[in-house]
Amino acid sequence: MSARLSVRPLSLTAAFRELGDPTLGGVVVFAGRVRADPTPRGSVTALVYEAHRGPAVQALQDLEAEARRRFGAGRTVAWHRVGRVRVGEVAVIVGAACGHRTEAFAATRFLIDRLKRTVPVWKEARERPARRPRPRRSRRPSRSSD
Amino acid sequence: MTATETGRRSAASLAGRARVLLFATARTAVGTRSLPWPVPGDGMTVRELVADLARAHPRVAPILAHCRFFHDGVPVTQLDERVRPGEELAIHPPYGGG
Repeated sequence: MSARLSVRPLSLTAAFRELGDPTLGGVVVFAGRVRADPTPRGSVTALVYEAHRGPAVQALQDLEAEARRRFGAGRTVAWHRVGRVRVGEVAVIVGAACGHRTEAFAATRFLIDRLKRTVPVWKEARERPARRPRPRRSRRPSRSSD
Repeated sequence: MTATETGRRSAASLAGRARVLLFATARTAVGTRSLPWPVPGDGMTVRELVADLARAHPRVAPILAHCRFFHDGVPVTQLDERVRPGEELAIHPPYGGG
């Protein structure tokens, strides 16, 4: 099991490595990235995540244990960023390695859906105001030579 | 002053006070992440503490109805649990990870 809150960037390669086991053929990894959603005043540039660390890590571990029990996942990861995460960066990675793909997909879906509801993590958007188009300068009327 | 004496003084300053930890919208509504909260020597229930908090900080009152509570890091299942001096009650608004 691998439950983690991290202030550092999350690595899909590291997650895939964590799920490595030659007896487990179905591996699914899900990554959630920060989107540049539009806001009333502009667009999102980053999300700032905060967590209640002890209960959050415990909740991630509980989730993994539940995924293993329900879906027979042999290995799992449940990682979440904390702090400022810019648009395009990975905020969350969950994954499961199972004997076959059906259980791996189901376990991974369970992990991300349940994580959003049960892990004490919160986010606050940082946004950039939309640029106003510069007013066009009216061209001076050209002097006519005639 | 020795480290032991400093430790004793810190422990003494906690007597009669619990700590309330606030997150996300609850923190914004109260304006701080951590509040010392006066409690009697035999403690007060989570229900009483939360009601006091709502009276002292009316902006957080509507948020509290949707919160979960953690007592020293453990989920509160009964609002009659007693929070005693030196203990911690964390207030969790609805989660928003992912």
